[in-house]
Amino acid sequence: MTRPLLSALLLSLSLGTAALAQDAAPVTTGPNGEPAAPADKLVLSDADIAKLKAGGYTAAFSWHELYDWSSAVSRGARDEFDRLGIKVVAETNASFDAARQTADVETILALKPSVLITLPVDSAAGVATYGKVSAAGTKLVFIDNPAEGMTVGKDYVATVTSDRAIIGARTAEAMAAALHEKGKVGYIFHDANFPVTNQRDQAFLWNLKTRFPGIEVVAKAGMADPARIEDIANAMLTQNPEINGIYVPWTEPALGVLSVLRQMGRQDVRIVSIDLNEPAALDMAKGGSVSALIADDAYGIGTAAARAAALSLLDQKVDPLLVVGAGIVSKDNLVDGWRASLHADPPQSVLDALK
Amino acid sequence: MTSSLPTRAALQGLIVYAGFALIFLFFSAMLWDRGFLSAQNLTNIILQTAPATVLAVGLVFVLAAGEIDLSFGAAVALAAIVAAMVMRTQGWPVGVLAGLATGMAVGLVNGAIVAYARLPSFLVTLATMGVIAGAAREMSGLQSIPVTAEPFIAIFGGGSLLGIPSLVLWTIGVVVVGHLAFRETRYGAHVLAVGDNPRAALVSGIRVARVRLSVLVLSGACAGLAGLLYAGRLQAARYTLGESDLMTVIAAVIVGGTALNGGRGTIPGALVGSLMMGMLSNGLILMGLSVSWQMMIKGLIILIAVAVSLREPNR
Repeated sequence: MTRPLLSALLLSLSLGTAALAQDAAPVTTGPNGEPAAPADKLVLSDADIAKLKAGGYTAAFSWHELYDWSSAVSRGARDEFDRLGIKVVAETNASFDAARQTADVETILALKPSVLITLPVDSAAGVATYGKVSAAGTKLVFIDNPAEGMTVGKDYVATVTSDRAIIGARTAEAMAAALHEKGKVGYIFHDANFPVTNQRDQAFLWNLKTRFPGIEVVAKAGMADPARIEDIANAMLTQNPEINGIYVPWTEPALGVLSVLRQMGRQDVRIVSIDLNEPAALDMAKGGSVSALIADDAYGIGTAAARAAALSLLDQKVDPLLVVGAGIVSKDNLVDGWRASLHADPPQSVLDALK
Repeated sequence: MTSSLPTRAALQGLIVYAGFALIFLFFSAMLWDRGFLSAQNLTNIILQTAPATVLAVGLVFVLAAGEIDLSFGAAVALAAIVAAMVMRTQGWPVGVLAGLATGMAVGLVNGAIVAYARLPSFLVTLATMGVIAGAAREMSGLQSIPVTAEPFIAIFGGGSLLGIPSLVLWTIGVVVVGHLAFRETRYGAHVLAVGDNPRAALVSGIRVARVRLSVLVLSGACAGLAGLLYAGRLQAARYTLGESDLMTVIAAVIVGGTALNGGRGTIPGALVGSLMMGMLSNGLILMGLSVSWQMMIKGLIILIAVAVSLREPNR
């Protein structure tokens, strides 16, 4: 499963990437227009850390689903909690089931943790799921999207996410590099009302059009269901054989595009997509069709979430929306890029292919 | 048949209670200082399992009649979505009726195909599961539909009567009515007879097709009610509701002592099985285990429980 889809499942944070594909550059803001603050602004002094260690605090995680990306967020938070002397007492995985997440959060509250870090499965079920958290005296930090009906500063501490405007910019830069700033691009966008993917898609388009005039978008196709991606890619390449670059909104459907390119024998078409996964990275390592994958600092999201929670335990002010950056991962920096995003080594298959 | 058989069967029926007690004692001992025994946590377990228990009651009838329903999880989502959408314009009572009617309509289609077209329920409900899940996605446009009607939320979600949470009352009501219908009425006896030996049931004058139809309608009605309970509890309806209940509910019913191939069933057993599933999830989280370990241990315990309760008493 991929992160864009799940982030998308969460809907509510209207991180406004304003003026899309028009004149003004996309900007990332919070649901009520809060500016995004860089997550690395969060700093804990030695005195803070000493206080936290003496406080006997505990933390818990309630995940929407666990996979490469969310596991890296979890690791980032765990390592930071470890450094701060905060004990992790529970971790749950709702497998995209909002009812299960509500049950998970209720169960976690029986442990009365000082801190809960969570990525909501369904923002609309927000108050039903998270309404009791702050009343129980537990500090709540959201990843990616806050739940609907919750007030920052009162019901929760902050939201930590990646900067979607930056992801869009990096994706466009990666496409330009792959095509040497000249070519014809097929643009596949996520055709559903999911702000996270919508904003990244649009930021990509804006950057490409505005900054790289040598590249022309010759075909646009919406994808509502990732399982149908092969049909979409087939049609797009049949109708527009001149295409030499394809943007896919995240890596799971990118694998479908890859398979179509292989069937068609189109080794000249480059793929650029978002998020790391093993099969896509393997193709990239082998010099295949995947040119670049844009990866956010997932581990850093976890670190920032832990720090934000810790600062709030000390009654210090935390910005409502904290963002981390994203980088281009290509064949040349695959190992470093993978480590930077997920704080783990790439899978052995990828390492072997790079040799 | 020998005289010792009923005794062994009776003992078999007690296994689920023993298992439940064992797991409860284990968690109580391990987690006595970590919130497991708090009244709030024990109430949570009942609240969290309420929709699954309602589904389990319906499934006992289906399995006892020798059929299976794989579509109830998808029907939960569709019923919740229909109820939430209808409620927005027509008011919550109409929404409730629409939700229940949706569940029963699903059951009616399943039942009609199984009973009168003589197709196996496994395949029929496998297919309708896909159709219903697709319909739930299409109708909702992959979005959550918020539920805001306060009386509905109180009755089907967070409210209480005389201090008893409404979800607990629904659980008790459905289990009691289901148990009485199953054990004390001619209808219940017919269901068991059809599941035990359909040919003999037919010869003895039982309208086998109608019984098959009715158990699937009943399962659909339970799915409709479970959908309402989810919508009330989450104050939103979503196409993923109920999906993960399929395996949990089947496991709960089997662990509780209902035969997978018909002719034997118990509703109190299904209730205890459902509570056992909820207690397992709850206790394993409170133990602070990693998610992977929670899954592995839960799977192993279910395997053991199913293995013990599925052993035929007379073999």
